[in-house]
Order: sequence, then C-alpha cells, then structure tokens
Amino acid sequence: MMVYISRILKFSFQDIGRNFGLSFMTVLILILMLLSIDALWSVRVITREAINAVKEQVNVSIYFSASASDKNVAEINKYITAFPEVVDVKLQSAEDVLSSFKQRHGQSKDILNALGELDKNPFGPTMIIKTREPGDYKKIIKALSVPEYENLIEAKSFDEHESAIEKIQNITNRAEKGVAGLVILFAGISFLIVFNTIRSAISTQKIEIGIKRLVGASNWFIRGPYLVESFIFSIISLIVASALLYLSLRFVDPYLAVVFPNNFSLTNYYNSHILYVFGIQFISVLILTVLSSGLAMRRQLRV
Amino acid sequence: MITVEGITKIYSTSSVALRDVSLHINAGEFVSIIGQSGSGKTTFTKLLIAEEKPTKGKIKIGDWDITGIKTNEIPFLRRQIGMIFQDYKLLPQKTVYENVSFALEVAGEKSHRIHQVIPQLLDIVGLSDRHNRYPRQLSGGEQQRVAIARSLAHRPKIIVADEPTGNLDTINAEEIIQILKKINEFGTTIVLLTHNREVVNALRRRVITLHGGHLVLDQEAGKYIL
Repeated sequence: MMVYISRILKFSFQDIGRNFGLSFMTVLILILMLLSIDALWSVRVITREAINAVKEQVNVSIYFSASASDKNVAEINKYITAFPEVVDVKLQSAEDVLSSFKQRHGQSKDILNALGELDKNPFGPTMIIKTREPGDYKKIIKALSVPEYENLIEAKSFDEHESAIEKIQNITNRAEKGVAGLVILFAGISFLIVFNTIRSAISTQKIEIGIKRLVGASNWFIRGPYLVESFIFSIISLIVASALLYLSLRFVDPYLAVVFPNNFSLTNYYNSHILYVFGIQFISVLILTVLSSGLAMRRQLRV
Repeated sequence: MITVEGITKIYSTSSVALRDVSLHINAGEFVSIIGQSGSGKTTFTKLLIAEEKPTKGKIKIGDWDITGIKTNEIPFLRRQIGMIFQDYKLLPQKTVYENVSFALEVAGEKSHRIHQVIPQLLDIVGLSDRHNRYPRQLSGGEQQRVAIARSLAHRPKIIVADEPTGNLDTINAEEIIQILKKINEFGTTIVLLTHNREVVNALRRRVITLHGGHLVLDQEAGKYIL
C-alpha cells in the first residue's frame, strides 16, 4: 500500500513539474478565490463588530420636565423595567443633570451666568434606557407616548442612532453582496481552470496513460496522481492565501484599532478561529478541485 | 491456454470486425495470426486484453472466462498478457531502464524487487549496456527489444505481439523473432499478429489466417497463404 501511495505521489509531482505554467495559474486563481473569501469573511466580522459597537452606544434618553416628581419618575422606572426588552435603566437626578451640564459648559461663562439668573434647577431627571436590540426602542418610546406621561416627559431621543445602524447595515449589505459576487466569480473561474489543467495534463499524457493501462495499472493508480494534484493545489493555495491574509492584517489592524475602542483586531479574530475559518476554506477548495478534476477524468479517462 | 468460442465483434451494421471465430491455443504454443488490414487481427488483440468486449461468443484465458470481465479485474488480466506493438509504445522521456521498470512500478512492485528484475530482463533482450539510453538514442530494433523486456516484466504466461516487425528492416526483424522464440522456449505462449510473409514462413509454426473477420485457415507448421 505504501509503495502505491509513494508512486502515486511521485507521478503527481512529476505531472505538476511538467505542466508547471498551468499548475501555477491554477494555484494563483485558487489563491485569488480564497483571498476574496477572506475579504468577505473580514467584512462580516468588521460589520458585526461595528454594529455591536454602535449598539453598545445606543440608548434611549428620556428627559423629564422639571415639574416631574420623584414619585412620577419612580413609577415610570417601574413601568419600563417590566418590559422584557429592557436590559438596563439608569436614572440621573435633576441635580446630577445640572452638575454634568455645568461641567460640560464650564468654559462658557454666558451659559453659567444665565443658569445663575434662574432661581431653581431648570432640568428634570433623565432616564437612560438600554434594550436588547435597537429595534426594541420603538416599542419603549411608543409605550411612553401616552397622554398620562405627556406633561412629565419633555423629550425622547433615539432616531439618530437608528439611522446610523441602518446606514451601517446598508453599506455592509452592499459590500457583502459585492464580495460574494467576487467569490462566486473566482470559484467559477477556479473550477474551469482546475478542470482544464487536469484535462490538459491527461491529454498530454494520453500515451503514458495508455501504457499504464497496457502494463496493468489499476484505474485508481491512473487517477490517483490527478487527485493528489488537486490536493496539493488546495494545500499550496490555502497556505499562500493565509500568509497573504496575515500580512495584510498587519496593515489593517492599526486602522481598526483607531475605529474600535475595545482593542478589536482581525488578527486576534483569525487566531482564535483559525481551525474553523481555514478548515472551511480548505474543505471548500478541496471539494472544488476534486469535483473539477473528477469531472475532467471522467471525460478523459474512459476505458 | 486461450480458448475463443464463436466470437463476433460488431461495431456497427456496416462494420463487423470478427464473425463467429473459434480457436484454441495451447500453453507454450507459438502461433502466428495473419491477415490483411481489416481482417480482424487488431480487434482480436483488443478482445484478448479486454480493451473491447465481444458482441457474441466467449473468451477464456486458462480457466478464466474474460468475456464479461469486470473493470477492476482488467489490470490483473493485463499483467498476465505481455503486449508488444509495431510502434513500440515507449515513453520518450524515460530511459530504457525506467521504461521497463515503469511496468512494475504501476503494478505496485517493491523497489528492491524492481532493481533485481530489470537487469535480468535487459539481459534477455541484450540491452544491459544501454539501460541509461533514451528511446530516441536507440535503433528501431533496440526500441522493440525494450518493449519486449517491458512485456516480460510481469512474467506473463502469454505474449501478444501485434506487428512487432512492422517498422523494422529484415535483420532487426529477424533478431526480434529470435528473441520471441527464445522466450517461447521458456514456456511462454506467443501470439504473433503479422503480415510479414518471410517471418511466418521461416518460423514453420502454427498459422491462423483471418480474412474479412472470418477464420479461414488454421495450419500446423503452416505457411503464409492469402
């Protein structure tokens, strides 16, 4: 068995050497396909991270009027907390709101003077509500838009965050579609190239294949080298594409570090998902190459 | 050794290669099958190595009925029948040694066994001193001797030689026939397909004549008659 395997390996390496140009092109196209898959994967990861980052910052702020009593605020707090969509409710008292306002506008004497003119705190308490999904905010705002609370609530803010999320989602959806198109295109080209590489290899070795048959080589011994070639193409393209990916991540990560405050890095992501990501890619490329070479062999190696 | 019963091979209604051919070749015989182009000689060869299947009839190699042979059994059949062709069918990028060892490599023979067997085979055909040459560096007769050495690699019980002297001059043709006779003396059955009158007449062995797909003559110690 080992003798068979070593001879099959020997013949497949010989074949790659003889058709070096075509083998090189095949690997190149497979690398391009894998890189486009990597790009798609990275876009998805960055999008998810971006949306999570925005979601983290998204909340609904309920600004109570100055006339709202602590009892009113506590009642609304209890009402809101009862919603299953609500994850967290933070309450700022009127005094806290006033002091943070003063801190924010500490440099502006006009504003501070104007505040001093007033004999009482013009701010009411503020309630900051966080929900599981941004879409849940509509429900919360609707629940608070009832006549009983009309005089107690001065303002509710959320709309800007919602449109930010929608924009991110729209941009990434389009980017994903574009990259997915590239993946399909490269997969199609790879299929045709591998198919033609094997077909051309078989066709240039028709005499050799004929002699192999003549001297009693089994079908698997004849087909084996071509299947091994597919495997070798898959391994080489995966190794080169992964090396290029990691190289490009060294340039991308510093930019991501600026955009994402939580030390997010694609390199870390790929490192922690290395088996999953590259396993899926290897299996996909292997299926593609084995299918195309199998089809080429079926057409060319009929007895 | 070889038993053919009522073999017919029809490619299409206008192309019938063999018609109801029956014959028996004993182990150790040296048989010439003669006939003009299109007489069915090549089809007969293809049927023997299961490259084609007969439309009708039965073929047996020893006790093995190969009429409906399964695809995965064909390699084992071909290791029992050594083939020699007019155009030698050598691999131009391989040396003499590699061309012969190739037959053993594809059959999964171990390397040390190959290194042991190849010098013996090259010795039989008188090419020991040319084992490093490429086919293009050899004469036609020498190339055919390489093909003979390769056909012997699996120690076959039968050798089918399809026009082995077709591309050779008289002297080289004679040398090839002498090697085949020597192999036959060791007990290997030789089936020689030829239209070389001199060769057949000089052999004075059994001659089977095919004409238009029919077996028209089967003579012991026969001559080339067409």
